[in-house]
Amino acid sequence: MILAKLALGAVGTLAVATVYTFREGTIRVDVDEHRPGGSHVHFWLPAAAVPAAMHFVPDDRLQEAADQAREALPIAQIVATELEKLPDTEFVSVDGDNEHVKVSVRRGKVYVDVQDHDDDVHVAVPVSTIRDIMDDIASRQHAQ
Amino acid sequence: MTNFRKSLQAVSLAAAAALLLAPFAAAQNSSNNERWLHVRVVSSDNKGETVRVNIPLELAEKVLPAINKDRLHNGKVTINHSEMDGVDCRALLAALKDTKDGEFVTVQAHDADVQVAKQNGYMLVHVIEKRWDEDKDSKNAKTGKSVEKSKVEVKVPMKVVEALFSAGKDELDVLAALKALSAHGDTELVSVKDEDNTVRVWLDSKNVSD
Repeated sequence: MILAKLALGAVGTLAVATVYTFREGTIRVDVDEHRPGGSHVHFWLPAAAVPAAMHFVPDDRLQEAADQAREALPIAQIVATELEKLPDTEFVSVDGDNEHVKVSVRRGKVYVDVQDHDDDVHVAVPVSTIRDIMDDIASRQHAQ
Repeated sequence: MTNFRKSLQAVSLAAAAALLLAPFAAAQNSSNNERWLHVRVVSSDNKGETVRVNIPLELAEKVLPAINKDRLHNGKVTINHSEMDGVDCRALLAALKDTKDGEFVTVQAHDADVQVAKQNGYMLVHVIEKRWDEDKDSKNAKTGKSVEKSKVEVKVPMKVVEALFSAGKDELDVLAALKALSAHGDTELVSVKDEDNTVRVWLDSKNVSD
């Protein structure tokens, strides 16, 4: 009985942790280089892990990044905040003979898809994660 | 007790589902009054590229004041008089406001024909760039036949033009122009056709290009 309760507790905790993790969405990166020896990178990670991981980035490195992005940071923060309010949209699309580029927002995620005859790159990042990262970098900038 | 446990399970599942789906639901909640600026460039060269850009005006209105670089500050662009070739835009606008509808400026030059007109609350600018085919006998371009090289049509609401010039003497208030534009209905703003590209800029309430 005690074992059953422990198991239930563990499963419950796992379920709550899974729900929390996936509520924030996932970051997905797919890179395929279509040439001999070309690399193929495919990974996804829970978006909730990124703001947590940001706490482990050394302050001086983050402040350096903040300094370099001083001009662009307020713009990126505004864009990230506004993107959350927008409906599903394709912001930019380029369609050529052998080239396709698309930047879009779908279901709260920013998608960047690039396809040409050599490479396929697909990146998906939740808008909330972008905003969290920008806010974090900005807060470090203010702390200077 | 069993019923209570089942209810608890159902409530837990519902709560978990709500937590999971909350971001998606939030993303779908957008206002329908959004105004969108669309740009489409269709290239007719051998690559045949098509570029489409869709930007919500509200986003542009919020981003613009945050950009402070070179001549752009707080949504205003500083203009250099030396680049205006002695043209007093403000006086021109004042004259334009009092003018009746119809064509009021036509410039026919060797390279281009320019027409500026005011019509139904819009300022219309039409530019036809010409290319001269050489006269086969005399090899003289001036005696040859002119061919349309490119055609530019700009249609801007007068209120937008007025807002653009509403800032200080040496400034263009782009932010005010954007705000005036967002209050405007669906409209075609720019259309350019030349040998290589077709460009179209328009404003509507759809978040997708046609």
